[in-house]
Amino acid sequence: MSSPKNDNTVNTEAIREVLDTHRAKMKTALRVCAHCSLCAESCFLFHVHDGDPRYMPSHKFINSIGRLYKKKGRIDQEALEEISEIVWRRCVLCTRCYCPLGIDIPEMIALARNICRSQDVYFTWDQLEQEA
Amino acid sequence: MYDLVRGPLVWVAFTVFIVGTVYQVVRFYSLSRKNPQFRLIKPTGGPPKKEDPPAEPVLTFGQRLRLSIAGTNPVMTTVTTVFHVLLVLTPFFVLGHNVLWDLAWGISPPSFSEAFTDVLTIIVIAGGVYFLCRRLFMARVRAISSTYDFVILAIATAPFITGFLAYRNIFDYDTVILLHMLAGEIMLVAIPFTKLVHMPFFFINRFLLVHENTFGAGGSRIWR
Repeated sequence: MSSPKNDNTVNTEAIREVLDTHRAKMKTALRVCAHCSLCAESCFLFHVHDGDPRYMPSHKFINSIGRLYKKKGRIDQEALEEISEIVWRRCVLCTRCYCPLGIDIPEMIALARNICRSQDVYFTWDQLEQEA
Repeated sequence: MYDLVRGPLVWVAFTVFIVGTVYQVVRFYSLSRKNPQFRLIKPTGGPPKKEDPPAEPVLTFGQRLRLSIAGTNPVMTTVTTVFHVLLVLTPFFVLGHNVLWDLAWGISPPSFSEAFTDVLTIIVIAGGVYFLCRRLFMARVRAISSTYDFVILAIATAPFITGFLAYRNIFDYDTVILLHMLAGEIMLVAIPFTKLVHMPFFFINRFLLVHENTFGAGGSRIWR
């Protein structure tokens, strides 16, 4: 994952501020998720990647915003890069994912993107060209 | 121990369950607000006319069903629906439970026959076994499972497993019935404060919150 930021400093306070503003909604979403995996088929990337569980909407939101929430924002640069990989490369925010319990997964992914952006970690098209 | 579990702990469990659930609902209301502006508008009108072709292809009911979760996961959809409905309904119609109501307060709610309740209990346990197998053997479910998920499954099914054992007098009855009461109390206490909170939040998320997948009138509230 490309990022313009190369140093290893993550502003935990800034992350926590974003988390705090959405705490209730995030906490509810994470708690309500029954880990049933029924959202899997609603993601076209899950199909494209031959049913790779890492492309399930629930897997993506648990391992991005869920991870940030559990760690209360205390996360290092490497982990943030991993999260940005999930929220940009494994999700295109097409908002077609469907949760039987009504969790707004795209919103959670968008929130994780906001947190990554707040730390100058984000997807760049240059990276894609280099990979190609 | 028996008197404690049968007496005060029942009250504690019911109080925590009711107060906890009310707290979760009140908390939801305080964290959300009414906003008719974002009310979901469902398409209305009759079938499209031939001379006025729709911009998007119109799917038949069968096609929509096949694309839904019921279509992509028919077994899981059936099992989970039956499991959840019976999990909630069965305890209200158990003869043994209703005899206790009668002895305590002189009220006699309708009950199923013991044989029928036994069948319902076995169906719930079978559903629990199905969920356990999914969690253990399906890669996609295993990928998002933790010990917590197994504990939650155990909490939800324990009252039914112990009830089944008690009804059939398997193991020492006194111990099993004590465990049965404890298991029920633990489940009640767990509902508002663990992943089992999806019980009230299923209705909140699917009926009250405005989003694309809201049932009914399209929801009326959004998060603050």
